Amino acid sequence: MERHVEALPAMVDRICALRDIIIANIVLIGQVPAPTFQEKQRCQKFMNRLLECEVDECTTDGYRNPLGIVRGLDPAQPPILVAAHLDTHFSRDVDHDFTITEERIIGAGVLDNSVGVGVLASLPLILKRLGVRFQSDLLLAGVIQSLGRGNLRGMRHLVKTWATPIRGAVCIEGVELGRLNYYADGMIRGEVTCRIDEGQKVEMRHQPNAILVLHEVINQILEIRLPQKPHCHIIIGKIAGGLEHGISAYEAELGFEIQSNSDRMVKSVFADIADIVTGIGHEYGVELTLETISNLSAARLRYNHPLVKAAGTVMETLGLKPQGAPSESELSILLSRRIPAVTLGLTRGENFHQINSAMEIAPMFTGIAQVLGVIAAIDRGLADD
Amino acid sequence: MTDNKWLSTHTFHYSQFSDLARLVQIKQEKGLTISLCLPTLNEEKTIAKEIVILKSELMSRYPLLDEIVVIDSGSSDNTVKVARSFDAVVYPADEILPAYPAYRGKGENLWKALYVTRGDILVYLDADIKNIHHRFAYGLLGPLLTVPGIRFAKAFYDRPIAIGKSKVRQTGGGRVTELVIRPMLSLFFPELTQIVQPLSGEYAGFRDIFERIPFPIGYGVETSMLLDICETWGLDVIAQVDLERRVHRNQDTKALGRMSFVVLKTFLDRLERLGLVEFRKQLYNQMLQYQLVQDRIVPDVFEIQGLERPPMIEIAEYREKRGIT
Repeated sequence: MERHVEALPAMVDRICALRDIIIANIVLIGQVPAPTFQEKQRCQKFMNRLLECEVDECTTDGYRNPLGIVRGLDPAQPPILVAAHLDTHFSRDVDHDFTITEERIIGAGVLDNSVGVGVLASLPLILKRLGVRFQSDLLLAGVIQSLGRGNLRGMRHLVKTWATPIRGAVCIEGVELGRLNYYADGMIRGEVTCRIDEGQKVEMRHQPNAILVLHEVINQILEIRLPQKPHCHIIIGKIAGGLEHGISAYEAELGFEIQSNSDRMVKSVFADIADIVTGIGHEYGVELTLETISNLSAARLRYNHPLVKAAGTVMETLGLKPQGAPSESELSILLSRRIPAVTLGLTRGENFHQINSAMEIAPMFTGIAQVLGVIAAIDRGLADD
Repeated sequence: MTDNKWLSTHTFHYSQFSDLARLVQIKQEKGLTISLCLPTLNEEKTIAKEIVILKSELMSRYPLLDEIVVIDSGSSDNTVKVARSFDAVVYPADEILPAYPAYRGKGENLWKALYVTRGDILVYLDADIKNIHHRFAYGLLGPLLTVPGIRFAKAFYDRPIAIGKSKVRQTGGGRVTELVIRPMLSLFFPELTQIVQPLSGEYAGFRDIFERIPFPIGYGVETSMLLDICETWGLDVIAQVDLERRVHRNQDTKALGRMSFVVLKTFLDRLERLGLVEFRKQLYNQMLQYQLVQDRIVPDVFEIQGLERPPMIEIAEYREKRGIT
């Protein structure tokens, strides 16, 4: 085993000694609301915290992704990207004040992804206090507009416009410690909306009902025959509509996602759903529209890619069992641009997307050591083809 | 009628003092030490965040504070355990100066903090601040360190009240201030109405001020502190600092009624001591409130003894500990 990997378990306690600063960053950044498309104040706070943690340079790119740079020893080496998304699922009027207990931090968005952003802001100081220097520059990116309709725009723009090659990347997410994502499925996320105007309801003999129309859409989607190979599935994830119990619904929305390791299959199934929507809209005589919310291309590293193997070794050295699964995150954008990358989880927690989401404090220090170990692996050239 | 001159010369915004490196430099040049005290009673939900953020920002990164001390009034929840788990020094109030009868109250804790802390300057922060930020401490320390003549700094802020689980309302709070203390100040000490939030629980000052004033053991401590400092040293030693937003637990009207009773009693007591009024009979110590229980009206009696601790400098143990002859 290489020396830098052997040193990781001892590093956990040294990172833990910086507990107050790391938690303060998580809390001070996480308490600033940042719903997708409204991340400006959190960006500012993130940059302030980077500066407070003695980052060498701090700036924004052309899309206003906040970026910090920790200078490496060898200016000839391309940078290593470490990224965490800044936006959350919670609106501004949700109470974002966090609570800290002996073992946990509790609050809206703490797992997705305030802990990731807080750790990212703390990295310059952690590296300094541990006396760790890398050959490559570290590019610390708090990317904006990731979630939902944001469609990973921040990361898309960053990698598209970054002037130099990127040597490798680590995406950090709140949970689950032990995840090792190195491939991303192809995905299209869509919304079907049914609208019925009131005048139309009165004129027709059989009053259409937006909810029942969507019910028919769901039935027909479920009848689509999906192959065993390539893997493909459709998730009906969201439905909303109607006004009250005694009134036929004028409007309803259905959210779904198609996932497959084949982009061609994703597109084919989406085309099937488009046909269903067109047909039912015509049959019922209602306004039925299909909109693409976001999409990703399938991309992957091989399981035996040196970066994946090195990440697995790092995790096992720290007592973690690597769990592989596809990721629909910034990872997909990086891999599709042929930047070797993995996504790692920092800690454990519960109530992932609720206002009382809770992260465990103690495992986070192992999670941070794991991130440093994988960065070190990239810095030693394991992601260089 | 007051000319409000003090308001313009002695009112600051915390952002004027956000250069922490400079504050640390001034502190070191002046050879000062600073203690922060958090008085607690069942604050397990907020105490850890206060300790972590203040320690991280004002001890680990900028050595502005020399110690953080929690004085606990006998919490029945996990306040003490949680505070200790984040490496705060915690003193049960009853164990400080055990030769004296023990009382329970915020003022008691603040008074006892004078005995156990070592700082030349003390910062007192309530332990129930949901949106704690280190500005609460450095904002108060700023005028003390940088403005000549300032010996005591008091906070003011907007006070959104937490309403329910997840929503925050942007105005409200400070009801006892507006309904009780401000009318009284207007009647007797109009110059003190320039102090925007005379009852705010966050303030800082030099030890030689705090050790020379008495401390009521309960809610009246802010009222008496303000009146006593003004009376002894004058308004010009006081600064007030805008800390912007503070989120705290809301209290129901009955609790605020009891708080108002204590504040009024302290105020009237000071008026009498200053010879501004003369009462022909002893004031009562009981606040009477009523509640409807089924079809009966039942009195709810709240009693305060109006106990006050003497100036700490008069305590023999304190003089001995600090080598005061």
